[in-house]
Amino acid sequence: MSRYIIRRLLQAIPLLFIISVLLFVLMINTGDPLSTLGGRRVTRPEDRERLSRQLGLDQPIYKQYLFWLIGNDWTKVDMEGDGIAETPGTRKGILRGDFGTSMVQRGKAVTEIILDRLPNTLILMIPAEIIVIILSLAVGVYSALRQYTVTDHIITGLSFIGYSMPIFFIALVSMYIFGVNFKAWGLPYLPTVGMFDPKIGKTTGQVLLHMVLPIFSLTVISAAGYSRFVRSQMLEVISEDYIRTARSKGLPNRMVITGHALKNAALPLVTIIGLDIPLLLGGAVVTESIFAWPGMGRLFIDHLSRSDTPVVMGILMMISVAVILSQLITDIIYAWLDPRIRYS
Amino acid sequence: MMGTAESDVIKIQEEFKTEALTPGQLMRMRFVRHKMAVFGLVMLVVLILYSFGGALFFSEAQANFTDTKLRLSSPSAAHPFGTDTVGRDILIRTIYGGQISLLIGMAAVVVEVVLGVLIGAIAGYYGGWIDGLLMRFTEAMFNIPQLFLLLVMAKFFGGSVPDINLFGRQFSGSVIVIIVIIGLTSWMYLARIVRANFLSLKEREFVLAAHTTGTSNLSIIFQHILPNSIAPIIVSGTLSVANAILSEAYISFLGLGVKPPTATWGNMLEGAYNYVATAPWLWIFPGLLIVLTVLSINFVGDGLRDAVDPHALIDAG
Amino acid sequence: MKIKLWLIVMTVLIVFSLVMTACQPAATPVPATDEPVVVEPTAAEPAAPEPTAEAPMEAPMEPQVVTFAWTQEPDSLHPFYTDMWFSATLQQLYLCWAWEFDDQNVAYPNLVKEIPSVENGGISADGLTITLHLRDDIVWSDGEPITSADFKFTYDMLMDDANSVNSKYPYDALDSVEAPDAQTVVMNFPEPFSAWEANFWRGILPKHVLQPVFDTEGSMMGADWNLAPTVGCGPYIFDEWESGSFLRFTKNENYWKGTAKIDDVFLQFVPDDAAQTAALLAGDADLGTFIPVSDVPTFQDAGLTVFTVDSGYAEGWFINFRDMASPGIRDVVVRQAIAMSLDREAISQDLLLGLTHPVETLWDPIAGGAYVSPDIVPWKYDPEAAKTMLEDAGYIDTDGDGIREYKDGSPLVLVHGTTIREIRQDIQAVAQQQLREVGIDLAIESQDSDIFFGGYADGAPPAIGDQDIMEWSDSTYFPDPDTDYWLCSQLPSADNPYGYNYYGCDEKLDALFQAQIIETDPTAREAIFHEISKYMHDNVLWYGIYSDPDLWVVNSNLTNVKFSGVTPFYNIWEWDFAK
Repeated sequence: MSRYIIRRLLQAIPLLFIISVLLFVLMINTGDPLSTLGGRRVTRPEDRERLSRQLGLDQPIYKQYLFWLIGNDWTKVDMEGDGIAETPGTRKGILRGDFGTSMVQRGKAVTEIILDRLPNTLILMIPAEIIVIILSLAVGVYSALRQYTVTDHIITGLSFIGYSMPIFFIALVSMYIFGVNFKAWGLPYLPTVGMFDPKIGKTTGQVLLHMVLPIFSLTVISAAGYSRFVRSQMLEVISEDYIRTARSKGLPNRMVITGHALKNAALPLVTIIGLDIPLLLGGAVVTESIFAWPGMGRLFIDHLSRSDTPVVMGILMMISVAVILSQLITDIIYAWLDPRIRYS
Repeated sequence: MMGTAESDVIKIQEEFKTEALTPGQLMRMRFVRHKMAVFGLVMLVVLILYSFGGALFFSEAQANFTDTKLRLSSPSAAHPFGTDTVGRDILIRTIYGGQISLLIGMAAVVVEVVLGVLIGAIAGYYGGWIDGLLMRFTEAMFNIPQLFLLLVMAKFFGGSVPDINLFGRQFSGSVIVIIVIIGLTSWMYLARIVRANFLSLKEREFVLAAHTTGTSNLSIIFQHILPNSIAPIIVSGTLSVANAILSEAYISFLGLGVKPPTATWGNMLEGAYNYVATAPWLWIFPGLLIVLTVLSINFVGDGLRDAVDPHALIDAG
Repeated sequence: MKIKLWLIVMTVLIVFSLVMTACQPAATPVPATDEPVVVEPTAAEPAAPEPTAEAPMEAPMEPQVVTFAWTQEPDSLHPFYTDMWFSATLQQLYLCWAWEFDDQNVAYPNLVKEIPSVENGGISADGLTITLHLRDDIVWSDGEPITSADFKFTYDMLMDDANSVNSKYPYDALDSVEAPDAQTVVMNFPEPFSAWEANFWRGILPKHVLQPVFDTEGSMMGADWNLAPTVGCGPYIFDEWESGSFLRFTKNENYWKGTAKIDDVFLQFVPDDAAQTAALLAGDADLGTFIPVSDVPTFQDAGLTVFTVDSGYAEGWFINFRDMASPGIRDVVVRQAIAMSLDREAISQDLLLGLTHPVETLWDPIAGGAYVSPDIVPWKYDPEAAKTMLEDAGYIDTDGDGIREYKDGSPLVLVHGTTIREIRQDIQAVAQQQLREVGIDLAIESQDSDIFFGGYADGAPPAIGDQDIMEWSDSTYFPDPDTDYWLCSQLPSADNPYGYNYYGCDEKLDALFQAQIIETDPTAREAIFHEISKYMHDNVLWYGIYSDPDLWVVNSNLTNVKFSGVTPFYNIWEWDFAK
């Protein structure tokens, strides 16, 4: 098993390399971080030329990638524009943990910028993931056990609808009903902006209150989709021979379901949940934008629109590592749970 | 010499003999039994009629006709869906927008299927280092969440394709860009399925037989193995149309999608976000149309999945 | 089995009808009833048996906070590392300029005793030396006096390449800066620079805080002060910045003009205009800016005050008359016809709700139009006249498709480009339609702003000349009329990839612009601009669509609120909540 893990980790390296090259090429050729520097007026030519040189943007693309990867403190750069490289570089490169500094927030380290916002996204994603698992198991099993009843049909209908909505539509509708209209009707309403009410401060209660609508939007689609999956898995498992055997042995139904059927039906769910991480991250981008949640998704969009390559690359690489790790972990858990699977 | 009793039995046996059903007919029967799928199909037909047939009643010039005095008027008899920020009729715009959205959905899937099948087939058939290389690449693309990749690519390719003139209508070049990048970011799933199929099928006898008769590799791939893996491709492709329409809506909503004045349901939602409370008709109608379309496609895909192989493991993908 | 289908259909329909009912237009917005955060003074009871003559409670129990709804989070609070308007605007809170600008955009002294001029000897007769005399009672928030050493330090830091500041303008026009004594700063120019008042000393850096950082790290780029300027010289000091959520300033007890009346300024970051509007209407925020024009009536109905402040910006069509532009746009007749084919009044009235008006030149919003030639006759919306002009010039629609052709038969197509902002998309749609009515085919395109405003080396469409008409909102070096966009030396090319004259080289215009910047006599300078504005207007080298003032929405409970177009919060220390 440990050999398998090590092999997978080693395989991840060329994977990450390919990803980084792909994304870097895309990012560098897109947009100009110096175009307006966020201001209302176009950057002056002398300043653009100087900044381009000082930020290393005038180098050919392979050099820029090299410096991003392994830094430039082993060579000299030309800061004065006279064509002679005289100043030793200060960057260590991402392989040594230096993600660089942002081009938008000059001087601030990319890791700092990302880590400022990362916990906020995790606060949304982890509870969302847990709720998705619980909901899809509960609804899927319930629906499967009552196949062809009215409840099953209603649940199926709702699942399809939930599964077919774009996440921003759900977010807008829920914001509209629970935020704007509830308030207009005088009912207790849910907040729709930000992570907490600044007048009250960043208390747990506030954050929890503000989490409700974003998490709701994030979970609907996944829960709807996976509950269908669990349902079909359960239906398959229930018709298997060993279930019939357990029943004929006289085991109470509840024990049959929870003890045997559920475990086997839930197994593939593990892999699916692992694969859901990227979807959840993507959903987070839209949700955070709509609800002004100060997380990594919004950070990504803000910095992408200003062509801030170091930050965007930093976020993308972190996400790729997270996805690879989560896939590995789910594979391991899957193997651990299902004794039929053994990885050589 | 057969006695009458025997010949009667033979006759009765002949009467009872039903013709063997072809797999295609079997599939169709199973599909039709799936009521939701039929309902979805009907809804899809209605939506397609709405978008393409509706163009017979309203010209494109009407869809783009601005009348700033009428901006943001709520639904009325003259404008059943209301007007947008420059006074264009939303009903007509959803008709023409629907054409583009549906077109993008289907065209993106074509790109996706071509790429996915090619890569999956080659990897599965040839195996070895080709397989390893292609699968590394597939995994690499898989590991970047689709939305992020779409956003980066949309920015990269944005504006690189000039406007095109087709059938007397003008389309923003960004339509092509969106089709290509949606296709480029969603083929991985299909490639995996096709590869798995090819891996198992290439050991079968009919392939070995084809080898011994000297059939070329290309011919084996496309004429022998591929037709046998058509089923999951169809199902996956159908569901991908829904995903493509949603993807277009997502990136248009975030501002990087199809550029005006070409309307799509997705980019009609982009501007509408600022008017959540004040002019909800801006986003309700395009939004509902997207949901209806995706819903019907999901119904149809579900039905297809059951029809093609009622015992197949259903993925929630 | 039928039940299954019908049940699902019913569920779908029920959900949809719920969604539809929920999505009715919102009820009348709740009027802003922001209770002032002050304890009401106890009513003086005339015959009350109160032994002690207790004064009514005036001091509020909790700090008075004014809340801003900010739609963009600043990228930096260091004045030279950011060009973001949402950051620069805040400088009057925690920083100090040598002189600032009032609500008429007229300069008044802040750190200096008086604005230098030829009369008071501050400017030498030849215009090459400007001397500043600083006040002696100015101090930083930590008590350190502000002296000429800080001025010299600011200049040195700006010019040092190790600091990689956003822009060295206009300090690169100086020969040197001297500080002969603690209250005197001398600026030496190689040639006169008439735009000095609008551009110099916009923010002074604290030497005693940043010099040590520069000495140890070799640059001030990574200084903590950039994101947490705890030492400042404005009426407020930086207090806390929670990334993604809020920014707080609290009052500076050492402010030499007196302590501000409101204790805290709290900036809440909201994601977009809709959230800003919601916060303002709900009373969660007291101030907002860059609001969508369509929301203004909503604010006024809710009892909020809307300020329009000229900041020199005007939205206009920049005309590309370089060699690679289409022959149509390079023909002055076509440009003049275009000028008469767009109903700009309707755009201002309908799309911008009458809150602004068309402009004729880039200089309309400056100093009440002092730099605009009085001989200019505004372009009228007259499509018939435009059609006649085009016909007479030989642009005739020979094939009856509604679009005129050049003499060689190719259609008259012009390319119009802008960014993706909604109002610009709307104007493009209107323009396309109205120009089509006179027979011009306007091909429209739009890009993200960091692509649109990219440089020649990036292949940005305006820079490389792909677009004939480029639309955006821009200003001069407000409040100075100077602009260098049309200088021939700024034409981008392979040798000059950073040039930003995307319009063209006109010898006469180039000479005029070069003359105005070294012209020290204000009257003569005005005359030069009269010539420039008339020339550009009559030849339609820049076509004004509308004046683009800053919009501020403020809680009506705030008193003494005034805005400047240059230094918006110039009098924020006088603001107060009505009791």
